[in-house]
Amino acid sequence: MRVKYLVLCASLSIALAITGCKTNTEQGKSSVSPVDMVASGEPEVAELTGAPKVPAPVGNRQPKKLIVNLVTTETEGIIADSIPYTFWTFNHTVPGSFIRIRVGDEVTLNLKNEASSVLPHNIDLHAVTGPGGGAAATSSVPGKETSFSFKAINPGLYVYHCAAPPVPMHIGNGMYGLILVEPEGGLPKVDREYYIMQGDFYTKASNIKKGLLEFDNDKAVAEKPDYVLFNGKKGSLLGANMIEAKVGETVRLFVGNGGPNLTSSFHVIGEIFDNVYLEGGSTISHNIQTTVVPAGGAVIVEFKCEVPGEYVLVDHALSRAFNKGAIGKLKVTGEANPKVFNAKTLSKH
Amino acid sequence: MFLLTSCEDKQKHPEPLPSDSIFNLSSQWKNQYGDSLYLKDLQGKTLVVVMIYTSCKTACPILVSKMKSIESKIAKKDKRDVSLVLVSIDPETDTPARLHEFAKTNQMSDPQWVFLTSNESSTQEFANVLSMKYKKISPIDFSHSNIISVFSPDGQLVSQEEGAIDVDKVVLTLHETVQKSK
Amino acid sequence: MSIGLMSCSNQENNPVEEKSFADHFSGTVQNTRVNTAMAYIPGGEYKPFYGSDTSLVKVEPFLLDERPVTNGEYLDFVKSNPAWQKSNVKRIFADTAYLHNWSSDTTLPEGANADAPICNISWFAAKAYAESIGKRLPTLDEWEFVAMADATSPNARSKSEYSDRIIDLYLQKNRQFNPVKHSPPNYWGVYNMFDLIWEWTDDFNSILTTGDSRSGQYEDKSLFCAGGATSATDILNYAAFMRFALRTSLKADFTVANLGFRCARDTVVHLNK
Repeated sequence: MRVKYLVLCASLSIALAITGCKTNTEQGKSSVSPVDMVASGEPEVAELTGAPKVPAPVGNRQPKKLIVNLVTTETEGIIADSIPYTFWTFNHTVPGSFIRIRVGDEVTLNLKNEASSVLPHNIDLHAVTGPGGGAAATSSVPGKETSFSFKAINPGLYVYHCAAPPVPMHIGNGMYGLILVEPEGGLPKVDREYYIMQGDFYTKASNIKKGLLEFDNDKAVAEKPDYVLFNGKKGSLLGANMIEAKVGETVRLFVGNGGPNLTSSFHVIGEIFDNVYLEGGSTISHNIQTTVVPAGGAVIVEFKCEVPGEYVLVDHALSRAFNKGAIGKLKVTGEANPKVFNAKTLSKH
Repeated sequence: MFLLTSCEDKQKHPEPLPSDSIFNLSSQWKNQYGDSLYLKDLQGKTLVVVMIYTSCKTACPILVSKMKSIESKIAKKDKRDVSLVLVSIDPETDTPARLHEFAKTNQMSDPQWVFLTSNESSTQEFANVLSMKYKKISPIDFSHSNIISVFSPDGQLVSQEEGAIDVDKVVLTLHETVQKSK
Repeated sequence: MSIGLMSCSNQENNPVEEKSFADHFSGTVQNTRVNTAMAYIPGGEYKPFYGSDTSLVKVEPFLLDERPVTNGEYLDFVKSNPAWQKSNVKRIFADTAYLHNWSSDTTLPEGANADAPICNISWFAAKAYAESIGKRLPTLDEWEFVAMADATSPNARSKSEYSDRIIDLYLQKNRQFNPVKHSPPNYWGVYNMFDLIWEWTDDFNSILTTGDSRSGQYEDKSLFCAGGATSATDILNYAAFMRFALRTSLKADFTVANLGFRCARDTVVHLNK
């Protein structure tokens, strides 16, 4: 009996050791093609988060069956400086909830349109391979719910958005978000992860309610926004809402651009991106100062914090940063690092 | 038509129709033999239903061949419990005589095949129950969605396949529905 | 009564006699007395939203209710036709949200205005109502034809303020609780085409893809892409896009909080207006 027990333990240890060794940082390397990956177990409800938070990493788990529940709403929110705007949202936030899955997962997506909505809404996820990215299957009138399912067969960081016509209006009002499909084994571990999504906003005064702003189609067609914002609100990443990290920590930013129109030149003042997953895909570039995030696209950037201070996140088309709101901050705390950066001014005698 | 029942008592007291049963429609139809009937007359068998029109040159021939393929794959022991129903969306052209001729040409004259035609409003009502989209785009042509639906012997919608119809899936659903009703 | 959408069909080819839709349900339908004024629409040719650049659709003269059917009128209908009361209605004809906000089978919601448009009713219910008073639902083309008008002209689609105004209205919530007719009528004397509710049409389900190249413009994918007619001069299509997006998302048994209807009727009278 005892011998058997020891043998069992030994076998388990060896098995675990082998599994441990398999934990790798290579992405998408598997003998099984994503289409053939088996997602087993009972369906679970996926954890969703509001920006700038992201759900926990998928780690080294096997593909799963997941349920993603989204609700579309038409609600008043503050766009800037106490000014109300009629936002259209996924899950009550702009951007919509961050969805985090892994390649091979099978997702059932339930889309409910709040009964108080006036218009129908739907969803197109760029992570989906299939007609309309799901849009045709999910067109929901107010009060109704629709559903479709898909298998994630490509890893990467993808935009999702409402595709109900007129699409620029639905996107212009905030109906976009990000879905991350982690590769097999998960993304390499970092210390901090944040979700940032840029959008351009075109506004005019509402004829109906004093002080309320709403979408201005003429400005959208001319591509002349009034606001270019991170996470749907001016100052969403400033002051008390700065994102944070410590010296020595690695930071990963999931940066999306809902548009509808403008391409972003994403830059963190005082930082250089060690890794840039170009366009949210699988090719990694290094030592990048400013990276392009196309409208309807995304990027993953990573860097290590070496020096304490406030680092300003901008769209480097700088009029947007300083005049239209495309500005946020990362606060890095910790020990000074004079070897890397020394701001002492020389005094003259 | 007898009611399919699982217990003798039920034959004396037939259960009321489910609220979502297609047999609640009281539209009147004619089949390929010119007999008048109500949808309720189809109660008791599992139904595979498609809407087509006989002068269609594009999608309908494919739907018809899918229906025939489904029919050929139904298990022998299930066969007597299934009716395959083709409903015309062009009642003006598709008279009973025309349907009869169509059935003959396509070797669909055996008793399990039912062809139905009615009038415009009943046809539209039926199409709406199936969530079919259709539009008359010329005097002789319709565009319409391609849907094959399976109904339980009680007239409740079990499943629908749209577009690229998975014949094996429909056959499996048929089998499960027949078994469930026994 | 025939619900013919086309010109007279040859009755001899019609194998089954047309039966009143409302007759289906009780055989002893009580016709409700309704005094909704109807506007005479002379019809004509118009360029539909979904058609090809050159195709025009002909709309025959017809009569259209000047305003949507109201809560009070629908209440009378269900009192006379109990099969359509919310606890009796068959699930195949209306989903579970049918009249869900009514206090009882024969009581409007608390605080509801009897002159506000009826909502939370399915296409089957709207059709039964129309039949019960000898009317029918308008077709999509008929509805859109009337929708082209503003206060002063029958076709205001090229005016930018026309489309801006419609979109403004579409963005507001809770308009369905307002009474009918409290805004100015359009050129035809028709009220509330945009400022209260979405409306059922008889053939709401006729927008779809066709494999037929003659009607290539029906491509329903165009309703979901940002493509199509959204150029700067075609702003009018934004409002129509929204209506069509709603229609293609509907099924006949759906009931929606801001979706109601008005009735139409054929006319044999051809007036020169």
